[in-house]
Amino acid sequence: MNKAREFDQSVVAELKALLGDRVSTSAAVREHHGKDESYFPCAPPDAVVFARSTEEVRDVVNICRRHRVPMIPFGVGTSLEGHVLATRGGVSIDMSQMNQVLAVHEEDLDAVVQPGVTRKQLNEHIKHTGLFFPVDPGADATLGGMAATRASGTNAVRYGTMRENVLALEVVLADGRVIRTSRRAKKSAAGYDLTRLFVGSEGTLGIITEVSLRLYPVQEAMSAAVCAFDSVDGCTRTVIQTIQAGIPVARCDLVCEKTIDAINRYKKTGYRVAPTLFFEFHGSQASVVEQAEAVQAIAKDNGGMDFEWATRPEDRNRLWDARHSAYFACLQLRPGARAVSTDVCVPISRLADCVHETMEDVKSYIVPVPVLGHVGDGNFHLVFLVDPAKPQEIELAKQFNSRLVARALAMEGTCTGEHGIGFGKMASLRSELGEAVDVMGDIKRALDPENLMNPGKVVAL
Amino acid sequence: MDTALAGLAARIREASERGTALRLRGGGSKDFYGGTPRGELLDTRAYAGIVAHEPTELVVTARCGTPLSELESALAANGQMLAFEPPHFGPGATVGGCVAAGLSGPRRAAAGALRDYVLGAKLVDGRGRVLRFGGTVMKNVAGYDVSRLLAGALGTLGLIAEISLKLFPRPGAELTLRLEMPEERALESLNRWAGQPLPISASAWNDGDLGVRLSGADSALRAAAERIGGERVEGGEAERFWSGIREHTIGFFGGDAPLWRLAVRSSAAPIELPGERLIEWGGALRWVRTRADAAAVRAAAAAAGGHATLFRAADKSAGAFTPLDPVAMRLHRNLKAAFDPAGILNPGRMYPEF
Repeated sequence: MNKAREFDQSVVAELKALLGDRVSTSAAVREHHGKDESYFPCAPPDAVVFARSTEEVRDVVNICRRHRVPMIPFGVGTSLEGHVLATRGGVSIDMSQMNQVLAVHEEDLDAVVQPGVTRKQLNEHIKHTGLFFPVDPGADATLGGMAATRASGTNAVRYGTMRENVLALEVVLADGRVIRTSRRAKKSAAGYDLTRLFVGSEGTLGIITEVSLRLYPVQEAMSAAVCAFDSVDGCTRTVIQTIQAGIPVARCDLVCEKTIDAINRYKKTGYRVAPTLFFEFHGSQASVVEQAEAVQAIAKDNGGMDFEWATRPEDRNRLWDARHSAYFACLQLRPGARAVSTDVCVPISRLADCVHETMEDVKSYIVPVPVLGHVGDGNFHLVFLVDPAKPQEIELAKQFNSRLVARALAMEGTCTGEHGIGFGKMASLRSELGEAVDVMGDIKRALDPENLMNPGKVVAL
Repeated sequence: MDTALAGLAARIREASERGTALRLRGGGSKDFYGGTPRGELLDTRAYAGIVAHEPTELVVTARCGTPLSELESALAANGQMLAFEPPHFGPGATVGGCVAAGLSGPRRAAAGALRDYVLGAKLVDGRGRVLRFGGTVMKNVAGYDVSRLLAGALGTLGLIAEISLKLFPRPGAELTLRLEMPEERALESLNRWAGQPLPISASAWNDGDLGVRLSGADSALRAAAERIGGERVEGGEAERFWSGIREHTIGFFGGDAPLWRLAVRSSAAPIELPGERLIEWGGALRWVRTRADAAAVRAAAAAAGGHATLFRAADKSAGAFTPLDPVAMRLHRNLKAAFDPAGILNPGRMYPEF
């Protein structure tokens, strides 16, 4: 991937005049901003700036625009498809110092945050209000990054993903202008729904500098349970029957026995090493008991054992902390390895077939392949552990993934349920949507005619 | 490709080559909404029918010309519903028009808006190309979220040929309470209840009467009804009441004073404009029948953190929708041009400028 143009060092001088020592060209800082959690080799930016306000972001955008330099917003770098890599050089705009919770409106059930606030930081901040923010990807990602990638988490079935829970955004556009996509009112905006367009645009249409989010009241009762099964098939069948019975389970996550083993080693937990479902039920005391009894009965029919309960908040947090650590735990199964991670999402009725066929397929891979996912929404992941120094291993993992994507598309699914396109899945996007990708290219051109906002991601121009 | 769809696509392709404006229309039940579009009529009803409804998937895919009532009956027969309770505003309402208008009904505050239920769409763009965005799965981050951008775009970005929508099971039980209270107290109560885990699925205040609908399991409804108070409204009467709110058939929506729709912060104080008021969505939607001038209504909405739409009026010369600032207008024009470079689809329906 060649750089589009030589980097003009006078850009750095202008940036330094603006931000002083919050501009870095040191190799360590640039390398840190040139990689994410994916297996892609580091592609460092030419410079990194640390912004502290919308005005600073705007001024940085104007400098980059004048010099025709690519700009890439950066949160904490937990994306999985190379979203933040500076594949064409340019300036990485680190948003992590824009980390203020600007307002919490308890009555209106919303919060306004700067993009560098992380999801855990927000929930800590609003703990005393009886409200919470539900979207929880594995990493403690920034809310700006989560909005930019339309992130989701373990709660999606009940509370939706970032696309349902972002109310409004402030965005610095490619031409340096700042827009607000909506006012405080959460109920519809005038004109096109620009909020929906920017949520999930992966930094390619503008830079998000403020996020308004929907909050939810903490439920009267919240109980989590772990249930071990004798097979992964039993897990997926349980999930399908639960969803189809209309039981409003708040969270429902699958981890295979390899993943459980990895979690036990990584978090020093003592879960039974077996395919396992993690559940959480929200509602009134009575409805939580009803839901749990119904799901336990379904699980029993499918080879599930007795639920192990976690009802105290600290126990629930420990349980989900263990689940959230699964990706990092799996990486430790093969020290030094990086992960090629898959992300298909299929209709619920095809989930069991898709998981089953896929697990048969990956039996021949060089090392065991953990499988895990939120499954209640049809989304699951395989983690191919690859030695980054061996391109043939990466190539092999990609071949498995290509077959998986083809399988999912044939089942009317998608190549990516939550990780996004970045540059790792641009070819898959084309196989999935065909000519519609050209319209996405036209949208990109309409908002960023010079192709300077995170260029080379989502759609190629 | 289906011949009806091919026919629609060919009409649009020809129109784009000739630069002829087209007015997309289903049953015409929402002709009153937005500006008056120019152009030759393109009737979408030829492309009709439910394409796929696998009840266990909680997803339906339907063609644009499918009558909305037909879709809702099919869902009801399987114990399911469109959770956003879209208003029909007439017997001719179609699925395509419903999504293009983007309007949600009484359950909006509890269940989310129409756009939150859009999973995917087949679109005929302004060049006559048939394109697919999104899909039928619950989570999808494959590129820009175009299918949701279409919701509420009033057909200005393309003809929504097919739409896939997420469904909800119908609630096990519903119960409506009526409480007498003045506007300030109603707003205070609604906002307080919203912060509590209560199964409120709709609310409507008008002229000193607050109606609150609860949906869910019997036990949860009983507990919530005790906490909220008021008197119970009998089932048939409750159903008529909520249908009247959803379809604008109750007395408040009659008469000839212009009807304004203000989307505001739910906790905003009562809107001080002359004329009658009706509140929905826990305080976030304020209907006002007023002869006050447009600038005053829009200023009141802005002060309450929102915007105002001139919903029904004989004279819409003030513009149906809040005018966009120059930056947003340019963005809108650019987006419009990406989908419809010849500018032939429903010109004037959303803004006079395009």
